[in-house]
Order: sequence, then C-alpha cells, then structure tokens
Amino acid sequence: MLQLRKVTKIYGEGDTKVTALKDVSLQVSPGDFIAIMGPSGSGKSTLLNIIGGLERLSSGEVILEGNRIDNLDENALVNIRREKIAYVFQQYHLIPSLTALENVLLPLVFRGGNGEREKARDILRKVGLANRTEHKPSQLSGGEQQRVAIARALVGNPALVLADEPTGNMDRKTGEEVLGLFDQLHKEGHTIITVTHNPEIAEHADAIIVLRDGQIVDRLNPREGRRDV
Amino acid sequence: MKLYQIVAKDVMRRKKRMLYATLGIVIGTMTVVGILTIARAGEARVYDQLEKYGPNLTVVPAISSLDVKIGDLSLGRLAVGENYFPEERLTEIRQIADGKIKESLNITSEGNIATLAPKLFVNTNVKKTPVIVVGIDPEEERGIKTWWQVQDGGYLNDTNQALVGALASELLPLNIGDQVSLNGNEVIVSGILEETGSDDDYQIFVPLKALQQAFNKEGQISSLDIRALCNACPVEFIADAINQNIPGVRAVAVKQVAESEMGMVAKMKNFMLALAGITLLVGLFAVVNTMLTSVHERIKDIGIMKAIGASRNQIIQIFIYEAIIIGIAGGVFGYLVGTALAYGAGPLLFGGATTTYVPLYFPLSLFLATLTAVTATIYPALRATQIKVADSLRSI
Repeated sequence: MLQLRKVTKIYGEGDTKVTALKDVSLQVSPGDFIAIMGPSGSGKSTLLNIIGGLERLSSGEVILEGNRIDNLDENALVNIRREKIAYVFQQYHLIPSLTALENVLLPLVFRGGNGEREKARDILRKVGLANRTEHKPSQLSGGEQQRVAIARALVGNPALVLADEPTGNMDRKTGEEVLGLFDQLHKEGHTIITVTHNPEIAEHADAIIVLRDGQIVDRLNPREGRRDV
Repeated sequence: MKLYQIVAKDVMRRKKRMLYATLGIVIGTMTVVGILTIARAGEARVYDQLEKYGPNLTVVPAISSLDVKIGDLSLGRLAVGENYFPEERLTEIRQIADGKIKESLNITSEGNIATLAPKLFVNTNVKKTPVIVVGIDPEEERGIKTWWQVQDGGYLNDTNQALVGALASELLPLNIGDQVSLNGNEVIVSGILEETGSDDDYQIFVPLKALQQAFNKEGQISSLDIRALCNACPVEFIADAINQNIPGVRAVAVKQVAESEMGMVAKMKNFMLALAGITLLVGLFAVVNTMLTSVHERIKDIGIMKAIGASRNQIIQIFIYEAIIIGIAGGVFGYLVGTALAYGAGPLLFGGATTTYVPLYFPLSLFLATLTAVTATIYPALRATQIKVADSLRSI
C-alpha cells in the first residue's frame, strides 16, 4: 500500500540547517491503522505531509500503491490528493461560508464533477450528521465539525486517510466519539495513518510508530506488545 | 454545486472587503462613463449649434465684414455695410457646389443638389425704429433654416408679404395684417416667427425681389448661404473652388469651424479620459491591494483547498470569479453613478447641453470594470497558487 524508503527531510542550509526526518523507512499494508507518536518537533507532521505529497523530501522514496509519488510534479500530486489520499486536520478546517453538506461536496467539486449531493448526504448520515447537513460550521460543535471533516475526507473514497491530531481539540467524550468513527472506518477496511499525542487513539491502532529527533525509535503493536525497530 | 457558487458564498461572507475592492472599480468606471457621457452631450451640443446654423458655407463680398456666428460660436466679423455682389454669380456658384458634391458622392444625375439661399441686408427705419430688413428667397431660405416655426399667420407666399422675427414684432410692435413701409413700398405682415435665439428674432424678412426693387438694389445680394447635401460633403473644396473661380466673393466653410470646435471637444474628452484612466489605475491598485490582503487572510483556506484537491488553475479560477463579481458590481454601479454624475456636471461644463444616458456605455462599463478587476487579480491569484500547503498548515 505505502512504502517509505530512507526518507530524509532537511530544512534550511548551513547554520540554520535542521534535519526534520532522517532515513525513515516504513511499510503500511492496506487496511492498516497506524498511529505516529512522539514529542513535539520530532517530525510527526512532516512525515504525514511527505506521505501526503504536501512537502518535498530531501532524499529517499515514497511509494504509494506501487508508484513513486515523491518525484511527481504538482499537477500529478493534485491528482493523487484528489483520488487516493484524504486529510483530517486537528482544527477541522471547514470553509466557514459553506454548509456541512457543501463542505463535504468540495473535494468532488475540485474533481470536476457537479458534486454528488446524495453521496455526500450518505457520508454525513454515516458520521451521524443526517440532521445537520444544512448547518454552517459556526453552528456545529467541535465534534460535529470534525465529523464533517471526516466525511469530507471519505467522500472521495480515498485509499489512504491521513489524520493530524484528529481529537486534539476535543474534550474526552467528543474525542471518544470521533475515535469510534475511526474504528468504524478501520473495520470497513480504510487505511489510516494518524499523528497523535493521545495514547487512547494509539491503543486502537494496529501499530504505533514512535518518532524522536526525526527518526523512528520504536514500533509498537498495542495488541502484541513492544517491538524494537 | 459549482466552483462559482462556492465563490459567491465566500464573497457574501466577506462583504466589507469586497465592497472596498468594488468601490475602487466603481470610482474608475464612474469617471470614464461620466466623462464619455458629458463629452457626448458636448458634441451633441456643437452638432446642434451647427444644425441650427444651417449652412455649410457662407459666401460674402470679398471686402465685407459681417459678424458670422454659429449659434454662440463666432466665425469672425463680416459686416454687411453697403457691399454687395451680383446675383448672377449664383448660377456659377451653384454649378461649382453641385459639381463638387456630385463628384464627391459619385452622382451623375442632373438637377440641383445644394440649397442656395441669397440674402440682401438693408438697414432701414420701420415705425421710426432702425431695423434690418432681409430680402430672402422664401423657399431656399426655408430649406436652410429648417428650425423656423411660424407662430402666428403664415410663411411668405407673395411678393408683398413680410415675415417678422419674434422680438421685432414685440418691439416695433407689428401684428399680422399690419402694413410696413419699405422705402415707400408697402408690404403686409403675413407671419411672425417663433423665437430662435438668433439675430433672426430682430429682423424682418421679405422676398428678395421686393426688397431689391424697394431699395433699388436689383440684381444685388449681400451674402449667400449654401447648404450642401450632407455632413460628408466636401465643403472645403467647394469653398476653395468658389474663392479661386469667382472674383469678388469670399466663401467660408463652416465645417472648418465645426471641426475646430469638435477638435476642442475631442481634446478635452481625451484629457479627461486620461484622468479617468488614472482613476481606473488607482482603482486597479485598490483591487490588487484588497486581493493581496485577501490572499494573506485566506492562506489557511487556500492551503486546505489545495490539500483536498484544488489544482493551481482552480485556485486562479476562484480569484478570477471573485474579480468577475467585483467587476460586474463595479460596472453596474459605475455606469449608474457615472451617468448621474454626467447629468449633474454636463450642463455646467457645456452650458445648455442636454445630457442623456447612453445605453451603449453600460456594456462598455461592465467590460471595463471586469477587465480591470480581472487584471488586478492576476498577480494576487498567482501569489495564492504559490502558497505551500504544508506551510499554510504549519501557520495554523
């Protein structure tokens, strides 16, 4: 599904040079639920951005479904983002002027379609927001906004869902609801990679990747116990 | 749902900023529309004056100084005095005028084309009041002075009749049926003209032959007005040909004066349009500024849109749609306010000018406003496409 081979990312030059990732290699199989953990500044978000093609790497390879994506031009990366990869952000990042339904439709609009309203409604129903489709983000709670963001990520039927601290802004109860939703997606066979500080999310994952100073220092399987990388 | 619908909703959310950008465009287009409308009113007024004046050419004795005017515009002093030229010159003058017109318009048929209205001016006393009596060829004169309206009685149709200017009839006073003695020869007032705002109001018009006989000026005329067939007629050539071929007369082409007057209007229009262009440029920079601020404010939104699949072209499209909305709004209001401005300022700039709205300027205004807004948006839109998604997400 996804392979990272010796991925290195360096910011700046000379004295300001910062190595965000160093020789990171990773293999993700279809249907995996991977949690990336680590302290702030360890390179978690950089890794997620590189997987999603949002950031160029300094060296190494990123292979998605058998094809290298790290050397693609911007137009090809747009197609990858439209067809194969979806994002869920910590702060939801919905477009404030659009309703929940329209926010979910947005990726389909960018794909060039008219926006398949029924499909978007179905997804919103699936995330438990059947009655909130015409509400704008400001009229929704944080948990509801994140559900809309998840629905927006799923509407394009992506091969890979990338989530950056998806419950980071939520209280415990709302976080558990969203986590339940990720569990459901996982059971349905979606491949999920999430960056998190939340050990509870990590417990639901198939594998926990621990990053420190831009390197993978641990790979844990919450169900089978610890394993060194 | 289409991309433009998303843009329309976003524009509604950011009304204030959009209004600010639109205002810049409104001021620019308003100025252009206002100036064009005012200039058009000014041109119309000059044309109107020329039309009122009637003839395209005036022929006078070579040594005369009659004050010839086109409405309020002076052609120079060409007083009548006792200078005359022979009426028999009319035949030669007609041949030259018709010949040049036919040659210019490629007409081969026979017959008269130009209208030739001879005049004999005589200073005399009527009811002990000095007045100018003008001998005219009634039919030819009417062909030139198409704006003449008889308010009382009828037009001249007999040799012993007189037509009195509106103010002359009040000052003398003269009414229909009154007798006027011209050097002992009686004529009867057959009609009184409506006020024209010209010297005609103070004059008495009688058939040319009657005046010539009354004052022993048979075969003599003071001036000759010639009206060619059309605006495009070669009046300068006719004037040159008359001046070169007929001794003792001087032909003045009114069109030269008209062109000079229109040239002045055109220069003024160009100058004002240049100012309008500067205003439009300022408006353009207002839009650039607003859009750059908008890009800055929406770094996050643009980053998110790119992250969920928006292409470079779609980001540009979003900004272009915004520019089109600003342009359409700016064009509509620019046209309305510009036209209103012209209604207010037009009569002040061209005294007596009648300003009318010009529907043709509406699409022009829309085009100009949209073009300006879209041009102003290109650079901010390109800046928006350069936003790196990862950077925008990091800035959140």
